[in-house]
Amino acid sequence: MAITAPDRTGTVTLTIDGREVTATEGSTIWAAAKAAGIDIPVLCHDERYDPVGVCRMCVVDVGAPAFAAACVRACESGMQVQTATPEIERSRAVLTEMLLADQPDREHDPKQATTGDNELLALADRFGLTHNDALPRARGRGTDFSSPVIAVDHDACILCDRCVRACDDIQGNDVIGRSGKGYATRIAFDLSDPMGASSCVSCGECVAACPTGALTNKPLHDVPIRPRTDLDAVDTVCPYCGVGCALTYYVDRDRGAISFAEGREQPGSHGRLCVKGRYGWDYAASAQRLTRPLIRREESYPKGALSADVRGELAQPDHQEEGRTKQGRSGKRGRKPGGLVDYAEVMPHFREASWDEALDLVARRLTEIHAAGGPAAIAGFGSAKCSNEEAYLFQKLIRTGFHTNNVDHCTRLCHASSVAALFEGIGSGAVSTTYGDVINADVAIVTGSNSTANHPVASTFFKQARRRGTTVIYVDPRADKMADHADIYCQLKPGTDVAFYNGVMHEIIRLDLVDHDYITRRTTNFEALAQTVRDYPPERAEQISGVPAEVIRRVARVWGEAGAGVIFWGMGISQHTTGTDNARCLIALCAITGNIGRPGSGLHPLRGQNNVQGASDMGLIPMFYPDYAKADDPGVKARFEQAWGTPDLDPKRGLTVTEIIGSALKGGVRGMYMLGENPFLSDPNINKVRKALAALEFLVVQDIFLTETAEFADVILPASSYLEKDGTYTNTDRRVQLGHKVLDSPGEARLDWRVVQDLANRIGLGWDYASPREIFTEMVSVIPSYANLSYDNLGPGGKLYPNPDPEHSDGTVVMFGERFNTDDGLAHLVPAEWLPAKELPSAEYPFVLNTGRMLEHWHTGSMTRRSYALDAIAPKALVFVHPDDAAEFGLADGDLARVSSRRGTIELEVSVSHREARGNCFIPFHFREAAANLLTIDEIDPVGKIPEFKFCAVRIEAVHA
Amino acid sequence: MPDLAPRVPGVEARAGKFPGPSLIPALHAITERVGWLPREELVALSREVHRPLYEIEGLISFYPHFRTTPPERVTLRVCHDLSCWLRGAEDRIAEARQRYARDPDIEFTECSCLGRCDTGPSVTVNQTPVTLARADTLIAAARNGSAPDVVAVPSARRWPNDPYASAAEHYGVLRDVLSGALPPGQVTAVLAESGLRGMGGAGFPTGRKWELVAAQVATPKYAICNADESEPGTFKDRQILADQPHLVLEGMLLGMLATGAEEGWVFIRHEYGPEEAVVRREIEHLRETGLLGPAVPTGRGNGAGRRLSVEVFTSPGGYILGEESALIECIEGHRGEPRNKPPFPGVYGLHGQPTLMNSVETLAHVPVIARRGAAWWKEQGAGESAGLKFFAVSGHVERPGVYCVPMGTTARQLLDLAGGVLDGRRPGAIQPGGASSNFLGPGQLDVPLDFGSLREAGSMLGSGALVVMAEGTDLLAAATNVLRFFRDESCGKCVPCRVGSTKAHQILADHLAAGGGPDDVDARITELEQVMRRTSICGLGQVALGPVASVLRLTGSPDPD
Repeated sequence: MAITAPDRTGTVTLTIDGREVTATEGSTIWAAAKAAGIDIPVLCHDERYDPVGVCRMCVVDVGAPAFAAACVRACESGMQVQTATPEIERSRAVLTEMLLADQPDREHDPKQATTGDNELLALADRFGLTHNDALPRARGRGTDFSSPVIAVDHDACILCDRCVRACDDIQGNDVIGRSGKGYATRIAFDLSDPMGASSCVSCGECVAACPTGALTNKPLHDVPIRPRTDLDAVDTVCPYCGVGCALTYYVDRDRGAISFAEGREQPGSHGRLCVKGRYGWDYAASAQRLTRPLIRREESYPKGALSADVRGELAQPDHQEEGRTKQGRSGKRGRKPGGLVDYAEVMPHFREASWDEALDLVARRLTEIHAAGGPAAIAGFGSAKCSNEEAYLFQKLIRTGFHTNNVDHCTRLCHASSVAALFEGIGSGAVSTTYGDVINADVAIVTGSNSTANHPVASTFFKQARRRGTTVIYVDPRADKMADHADIYCQLKPGTDVAFYNGVMHEIIRLDLVDHDYITRRTTNFEALAQTVRDYPPERAEQISGVPAEVIRRVARVWGEAGAGVIFWGMGISQHTTGTDNARCLIALCAITGNIGRPGSGLHPLRGQNNVQGASDMGLIPMFYPDYAKADDPGVKARFEQAWGTPDLDPKRGLTVTEIIGSALKGGVRGMYMLGENPFLSDPNINKVRKALAALEFLVVQDIFLTETAEFADVILPASSYLEKDGTYTNTDRRVQLGHKVLDSPGEARLDWRVVQDLANRIGLGWDYASPREIFTEMVSVIPSYANLSYDNLGPGGKLYPNPDPEHSDGTVVMFGERFNTDDGLAHLVPAEWLPAKELPSAEYPFVLNTGRMLEHWHTGSMTRRSYALDAIAPKALVFVHPDDAAEFGLADGDLARVSSRRGTIELEVSVSHREARGNCFIPFHFREAAANLLTIDEIDPVGKIPEFKFCAVRIEAVHA
Repeated sequence: MPDLAPRVPGVEARAGKFPGPSLIPALHAITERVGWLPREELVALSREVHRPLYEIEGLISFYPHFRTTPPERVTLRVCHDLSCWLRGAEDRIAEARQRYARDPDIEFTECSCLGRCDTGPSVTVNQTPVTLARADTLIAAARNGSAPDVVAVPSARRWPNDPYASAAEHYGVLRDVLSGALPPGQVTAVLAESGLRGMGGAGFPTGRKWELVAAQVATPKYAICNADESEPGTFKDRQILADQPHLVLEGMLLGMLATGAEEGWVFIRHEYGPEEAVVRREIEHLRETGLLGPAVPTGRGNGAGRRLSVEVFTSPGGYILGEESALIECIEGHRGEPRNKPPFPGVYGLHGQPTLMNSVETLAHVPVIARRGAAWWKEQGAGESAGLKFFAVSGHVERPGVYCVPMGTTARQLLDLAGGVLDGRRPGAIQPGGASSNFLGPGQLDVPLDFGSLREAGSMLGSGALVVMAEGTDLLAAATNVLRFFRDESCGKCVPCRVGSTKAHQILADHLAAGGGPDDVDARITELEQVMRRTSICGLGQVALGPVASVLRLTGSPDPD
């Protein structure tokens, strides 16, 4: 829209309550008054939102017959403003009376009776109004308790539109609006549907916005919600995804439980949360927490899976009918609904032990295997859920205690290929700019990323940027919600990313929309790239990708002509056998148009786990020491041998997650330490993983719950949850944040870093770390990227690295303004030819299976499926199928389908979804009772070693009960 | 670089919120096809256009023209507002309610003003306006599924504001401007000199408005003819549209040429179906004669011609859309909720662009002023007043209808012109300027009907609607009837109007039901009136309680002030 922007450099001078005030041109009277220390009451206004001026509480006298709403009225030069004449104050009091008339009684008000901060009642107090007897009452507008987490009381609603703006302007979820007209107006969800049946994603932003009792949190687990002043506020960071939202838990110390959570201001997330962050924290209080070390009983050898599910029995076709309900859950052996590991079935195979006995056993067995089989016989999986300090100690233990680089974590399943391509191309695996920088972009490509589900809060910034003028291009085989928020949506066929982007680059080069100067000064190998993409005219790219040539041309033009363009990508790019090539294309696309190193431009692989960036930075990967120091570089080896005071580090790269599984099958890796990983569900081709885990001579699993993987363990160590420890976490933006202990660990569960140290000392390493703070200090000394950061200067919002001056600066948003981290400082363009996926659809397996996450669940579900709210919202495994495909199989919503690949079979409910393309289906991988990874293929990308989770061939059949 | 701050000072959050075209035409299309709006259709629409369901819900629940249940075979609506109320609507409604209560074919509802107060109580049968006398015939026809195609018949009266003796002369001023003989700026200058003011109610000087829009640098610009008069007692524009569509459209096209707008809209209330048909015919005629089109020939420039487009936008219903910014919100596809102003439409109007908006009558006066000059126009007024004025006269009057008289004609003269008070009764009170104007007593009938005199008398010229109440009329009940109209038509956006009108009506209705009169009305009413007048966003809320307060003053009740 061609709207003349006001001249923001100008100022106006006006008089407010007799005082001369100078304000920026275009600023509102309310803002100018506030800056001058004059308080004007508001209800509908909140600085986080653009004003609407509907409650009229902020009216001021500007000399006109009618008062003006200060929240929206702009300052004008020479204006005479009165903010609190007796008539204005009386008007405000009468307006308050009007709103009070239909309100619930104070003692029953859903907000006043819980958090106690009803803003309307505060105004009533201010004006000395006793409750609602001044005007005729008319209550009975109804309540809506259909959402598992949010209660709606329409009588308490004052139609301030704060929830409306929170829902669309802030979160971009577009669920709440005004319905009806006049006095009958009320807030409504979708087509005036019950909140719980609407498209509401339960982010709770509306609750955070509501000034009255209209929208309030429901208490979880009967822990009452009380005023903040009665509770202990713990500022920390969300434990789920890589966006790393800052939040505050309000803890009821009397009950030893969290009462509620709230977003907290931080330069990245700006106080926003998603459903997992706001409502998904109760897993830590689950009765199923492991509280004592466990040792496998003699009679439970030889090792193997202990539960029927993990043995794979239920996946066998001849067992299917028995005891199975329509929900796809087994009634067999009394397994709890929800599909978690059946403790009753598994626990008898273990006996409780003391920490000393358990740790001694672990140390002895690992030492024995190491002595017998050498370094190659030992491997460790750390976790991106753990803190930087824990990741650092874990890799240090494996490397210095067992002299092997066989240490990896779930980054292998996540962005390993992206990181490989980024290192090759620009010498750094981290993002070149933050997600919030999207607001400065003219164009943003979001690709291979169901961001609204996987990085919900980051996606709110993408959606918001689009409302403010950024052109959003969404490239993804699934038309998920981002497609609704895209200016251009490209529904490419799965596994054709290279062809699509080569087509776009072909057109950009043909139109000469490249940045010649940038290419000359800052890149190498452009000619080879141009040579390769010459063979991908848009028509050929269309043939392969299915995206119409004209759309490819449009994307090329929009991207090529943009002043600043940024690319955000997720697992849809990385989890392919061509994952590295896919990422190479994105790097090239940015580089040839000069789109790295300026505000609003760059490369941002959206990191998955809350600390996957940090764990990688810490060297929890087989090819790198901390800070991406090459493991096979003798100089690096020598440097760390000196730093760690150890003589014989492994001179070679270690094995990756997928390679370790393969090695275990062949008797190579024989002893493993698994800290917080659950490869049984998270790795491809479960049937193979099962064999590998069973083949291990010794497996120690350290976790907070009994996982599927733990069934194969010799020793299980009870760990602490995220909520029980201090430590730092590095989010997708490179923001290093402090997480604080919220609750005590249950029973004898121990802090993970202490367990690692205990083991280190039992194998003779002689560690003596007193606290995470001390570990952090050592870490920083070997990680130049983290230079200058300390527990003292991270502050409440954390700091971005690199950061030359953490005392005064939030850190570096845009990297590579002058040079890249490569040896020559240039970006290395790497051309890629399109290659098909490894297992293409066939007559027998005609569908392409895509796997990934749902908004409500996290990975193998061990946390989220133990959260009341998340489990209530998304209780079951689903396969998403295009309406026409579903119709072909006679499948309707909720019908049971059998999905089979060459590797396995699962049964689960069908969700008919207009977001899938024909011939494709999507299965979230959280549900062990219908584990998507029984189907997936364990083919890997040759460079990044990442499995092809996003593509395998399956068959779908209806199951007739 | 996109910008996080509001783009134009004072612009509200909702501006630009839903990118993409208005969904109202798509909703009309479903209604045309299916007869109502089934859920599946709405969900399909939402997916197809990638727009949220709540946006659709906001529209269909706001505009009365949209319905989410299948209609009965016959929808019968009877107006219950002041003019019809004065003509016995309450009894007619009670009768109809009883008569059709069990009739499965008929859906009976009371409704707000239909703009046919001269033949009240007014009725529509399946959207077709009829007189009560003809209702039965139409109901019978509707039961059989037939619907009459109604086009308004011109009254054949020769109005003094028409400078053209015959149809052949129509658009003479426009042709002069297009040929270059008459510079468009000169039209604006003549209007400014003539003192013509907006006839829709606010009375803003027309020439100055045109100058303001012409001076805006932003393009494109738009022009809108506000043909959404919907206030009880107000129907003069209806007659003008039926009789003088050529003057209205010529006035609008002159405005477009003078301000630099290429696209114009006639926003017409959907109860004016017969008049809309007339306007559409006239627009078609303009296209045929080459006065509208992608390249209308002009006498200047390179001969490439100039784009002039005028379309009709049928209101999906609601009095509030007559408020200029609500009207714009509606065309943009939003809920018709008035904006906080400034910025005014002349600066920030349709799609955030400079927009010239005038009412039907204002535009209809433009050609004659341009043709005969400012001095001629001024001379047409009575006394100190300038120009001509159309009035709708209704209520307790012998010959209700539309009259064009010199501005400044007294209320008594106009009443006499309309045959005096019904049945020879004595006048009890009048509303001189439509439902929002304050009541005047029988002692004030000699007030000249013009902007200044009426303001001095404590009322206003408003929408040019004289509603006459005979002696003996329960004035408090009449004013409460007016308040009910405003309550029903409140958009609900701001607190004082949404809650204040409802609570005040509740107090008054209870008071009347208990046999109360003007002398013992709750003092809260006066306080509510003051707060609503000073804090509401738009004129509706500001005036909603005004008539009631004026009755309390007229009848001498104690005023706490």
